Amino acid sequence: MGNFKNLLFASALAVILPLQAVDASEIRVGFTADALTLDPANHRNRETETIIRNLYDGILTRDADMKIVPEIAESFTQTSPTTFEFVIRKGIKFHDGSDLTAEDVKFTLDRLTVEGAMGDGQTSPRKSLLGPLKSTAVEGNKVIVTLSEPWPILPAMLPVQEVVSKAFVEKVGTAGLATQVNGNGPFKLTEWRKGDSIIMERFDGYYGGATDIPPVGKACVDRVIFKVIPETASRVAALLSGDVDIINELPPFSIAQVKSNPNTEVMTVNGTRSFFIALNNKGKVFGDIKVRQAVAYALDKKLIIDRILGGNAVSIDGILSPAAFGASKLPAHDYDPQKAKALLAEAGYPDGIDVVIDTEGAYKDTVQAIASVLAKSGIRAKVEVSESAILKAKWDPKDENPKGDMYFTSWGNGSLDPYDIFLPTHRSGDRGNSAHYANPELDKLLDQASSELDTAKRAGLYNKAEAIINADLPYVYLWVPQDIYGVSKRVKGWKPSADSRINLHDACVE
Amino acid sequence: MGRFLERLLQLIPVLLGVSLIVFLMLALTPGDPVEIMIGDQNMTAEQEALLRSDLGLDRPLPERFLNFLGNAVQGDFGTSYFHRRPVSEVISERLPATIELSLVAMLIALATAIPLGVAAAIHKNTIIDRIATVGSLFGVSLPGFWFGILLLMLFAVHLRLLPVSGRIGFESEVPSVTGFLLIDTLLQGRFSAFLDALKHILLPAITLGLPMTAILTRVTRTAMLEVMRQDYVAFAEAKGISRRRILFRHALKNALIPTVSVAAIETGSLLGGNMIVETVFGWPGLGRLVVESIFVRNYPLVQAAVLLYAVTYVLMNFVADILYTVLNPRVKL
Amino acid sequence: MSAVSDPATASPAASLFRRNLATFAENRLAVASAAILLGFVVMAVFAPWIAPQDPNETDLFRRLQPPAWMPGGEWAYLLGCDALGRDIFSRIIYGARISIFIGTVVVAVATVIGILAGLAAGYLRGWVDTLISRLIDILLGFPYLIFAIGLMAMMGPGLVNIILALVYKEWVIPARVVRGETLAVRELEYVEAARALGASRFHIMIREIMPNVLSAVLVVATIRMADVIILEASLSFLGLGVQPPTASWGSMVADGRAFILEAWWVSTFPGLAILTLVLVINVASQGLRDAFDPRFHE
Repeated sequence: MGNFKNLLFASALAVILPLQAVDASEIRVGFTADALTLDPANHRNRETETIIRNLYDGILTRDADMKIVPEIAESFTQTSPTTFEFVIRKGIKFHDGSDLTAEDVKFTLDRLTVEGAMGDGQTSPRKSLLGPLKSTAVEGNKVIVTLSEPWPILPAMLPVQEVVSKAFVEKVGTAGLATQVNGNGPFKLTEWRKGDSIIMERFDGYYGGATDIPPVGKACVDRVIFKVIPETASRVAALLSGDVDIINELPPFSIAQVKSNPNTEVMTVNGTRSFFIALNNKGKVFGDIKVRQAVAYALDKKLIIDRILGGNAVSIDGILSPAAFGASKLPAHDYDPQKAKALLAEAGYPDGIDVVIDTEGAYKDTVQAIASVLAKSGIRAKVEVSESAILKAKWDPKDENPKGDMYFTSWGNGSLDPYDIFLPTHRSGDRGNSAHYANPELDKLLDQASSELDTAKRAGLYNKAEAIINADLPYVYLWVPQDIYGVSKRVKGWKPSADSRINLHDACVE
Repeated sequence: MGRFLERLLQLIPVLLGVSLIVFLMLALTPGDPVEIMIGDQNMTAEQEALLRSDLGLDRPLPERFLNFLGNAVQGDFGTSYFHRRPVSEVISERLPATIELSLVAMLIALATAIPLGVAAAIHKNTIIDRIATVGSLFGVSLPGFWFGILLLMLFAVHLRLLPVSGRIGFESEVPSVTGFLLIDTLLQGRFSAFLDALKHILLPAITLGLPMTAILTRVTRTAMLEVMRQDYVAFAEAKGISRRRILFRHALKNALIPTVSVAAIETGSLLGGNMIVETVFGWPGLGRLVVESIFVRNYPLVQAAVLLYAVTYVLMNFVADILYTVLNPRVKL
Repeated sequence: MSAVSDPATASPAASLFRRNLATFAENRLAVASAAILLGFVVMAVFAPWIAPQDPNETDLFRRLQPPAWMPGGEWAYLLGCDALGRDIFSRIIYGARISIFIGTVVVAVATVIGILAGLAAGYLRGWVDTLISRLIDILLGFPYLIFAIGLMAMMGPGLVNIILALVYKEWVIPARVVRGETLAVRELEYVEAARALGASRFHIMIREIMPNVLSAVLVVATIRMADVIILEASLSFLGLGVQPPTASWGSMVADGRAFILEAWWVSTFPGLAILTLVLVINVASQGLRDAFDPRFHE
């Protein structure tokens, strides 16, 4: 009966719905969100960055191993602790056919870092990503960047800054750049159907991209489309039915289905975002290291990674991802409810503790699972879901008298350099120190590491720092999740990237 | 004509009141809206100060309301700090998709409800009547978000007859003329693109139009029964005019008067349903934008959209009222 | 206005009530719906005794466990489990509390406000009427869901906020009905008589007029319950409803959306619960209206 009805519907609809022909030279990406803007300097949004990066290239970029390599620059050198020199490649063209010069690179950096440079008194929201960048100057085909203090990670921050055309920006203004593109990337903008899709076509005047990342040359496919499909199930369905070729944020529970489909496969890559639970070190309960240790032993990390994240995460015992610079093997606090209970009793809580654990809506499943695991050791955590802005205020590092107990949160580390994650989350009073941790010894180590130019010494300093926090446990360190993609088998030459970019320059279709 | 002017004048206090409530929704929000809006965006002190003076938070409420009103009349709703573009610009980009969806939903509702309601009235107490009555009961009781998910699962995922998301396929690049894809494709004579757009709009429009269909079926049926009992129908019948002619020429015309005015009132369910249906079907319209904006605390955009929806609704009701007067010979203009 | 028969004597009204009740009792579908509705209420009230599991108890080893009759299911988890291994059947039972509680409280509060405002506007006329009628007109200018979403967006989610957001708009509906009825009744003889006898305005409104408009407004109230329940579910679906882990049918449907390809039961059953509850309220209230409000008779 059911089958008959289906058949009836199918035949009725088949009459009015012709099958779609698949264009052989086109890649479609089913993507979680639309770009907020197409102006590379006017957003702080990961999805927007991913889309824009196919239209614009950066001064530098990263290869598959996250190594920094030149892209629009031909080479670069650090000439002093506070100056860098970038030699700009010749023969690069913008999509309108004009030449890219060192002036455009300087203009780009100034637009990002000078107060009010966006016009109408606006400053780029990306300014803080370039930290102590003080000034830029052009010498022939060189751009000299001067810093106000030593900052070894400047190169690590440049792959996320794309070069714009000075003449074009001056013509269309910041307002125009939000929707118009005159880029230098492998694809040029065909149409932006807002909220629905961004359609790009191959730019035939492309200079070829970074020489360190073969293949060098024009993009392989004629067209690429970022199709916005925010609903998770719809995105997976679109991949399974062949409507799209690549989807991001494939949920762990859909992996089996994508794998069992003959035309699709699953690709994973270690991410760069560390997840942890901030404990209120200034609070009465978590001010006691025994209680903090109890939480670490009470948390069955392995169970949660297996069951909730489908095994797609790497456990961490310090703040750094295992792939990050300066990371080292640290002692783990393996699941041990007896030990947790004993520690609580020692701290004066033989009957356990009642606390609140804060989180954003997106993680409520995970946090509820964590709470139910903690309860087995007498840590009764009530899950409270709030919006990020409200949580940021509640866990403001500048707050003298913080009220929270526990806060499930995370910190991104796209550069994979500790400077970008260790300092903000652990230095006394720094902007991401939601645990209100204050350890002068650690502060000293971190500050030393920030200006240390010798790589080996720098790594050693971070090793020491990680050992301190592993023992002191201002946070309970959880995991670095993998990014999971569903990919059609007709796509060749594409791999997911740890910085969550989807660069389609090298991707081909059969 | 006097009545028309009178009604037109009555619109003014209503629109003012609606604006006041929308204004107060944000103005009386507990907490510092600037703090909340900035959220995790990286803003300099100057930008924060700019935002504060933009919103005029330091000035007294009445003055802020007058400013809000003055700007709104000129189509200025401030800046969407999330997109870093004017709110009016961001909204107007998404508007055609929403209007198109709502119109098609309304069309589906009218095209289903009127024949069904008429048939149910003519064949009262038959199986057709039963279907119409039970169907409309289900129609008003089905939660739209759930019904949408079921349709999506059945037709898009399991049967793979219809697309899962979006407004049109990629084969069909349609230069925008009116912004309505169904019209643009036809204007350009591209029939396959038209079908493609139709395929995309079908499920969302059915879901969105369902409550309206249910209510209009009921209204049409009741109105038709009412009219059929009137003296003039019996009189016409006595004069030997065919029953068919009586029903469709005279009865239907009168029965449609309440249907049309209820249809206008029910646009309220289309406007509200937008947010849900567009979220479920990934429709690139204003409704989804508003829902997304709520969660990033993009208050100026939410405020502008709520005002836009409300003003549209007030105007729809006004049009319904006028239409009712024009159509109904018993009400003098 | 045939509902107003002879108000001077109470007994005809009582017999009319009995007659109406008898009419309702003859409507088998309506009675059956009322019985199911009663079942939902019992379920909500006695949830802790009926639910086989703790609705918030997570069990990661039962993540997305299928319903009992499917391979891998267990009879102790009749309708399967959600992404955290919580029993869906128990959560639906507890979710009935939220739906019915919000539906009842919002409609009850709105009806009380609506009756008072409607009486005041219809009987006192003058500036009171102008003020209340204007406010009604303005609130009617908002599509219901848009109004609620707008308010919830600004106030933030939570049980009390949902009730407030819905009451702010809901009272308009009974108020309009009561005002209309009051306008019709206020000039009738018995009201004139009470006025002539020197009764206070308050006394006339509450004692003489209110009883005569009550039946109309109560019929409206039962119908409105259905709409309010759908509105609450819609808000919860969008994430603007009650806070997790509290089970609400709307948010249960929303939670299951991501799993719909692998675990259809997570969204399907709570949605079915909403449909059933709203359907029986609609059928029962239609029966009530047919029996008690003669104007709706065909």
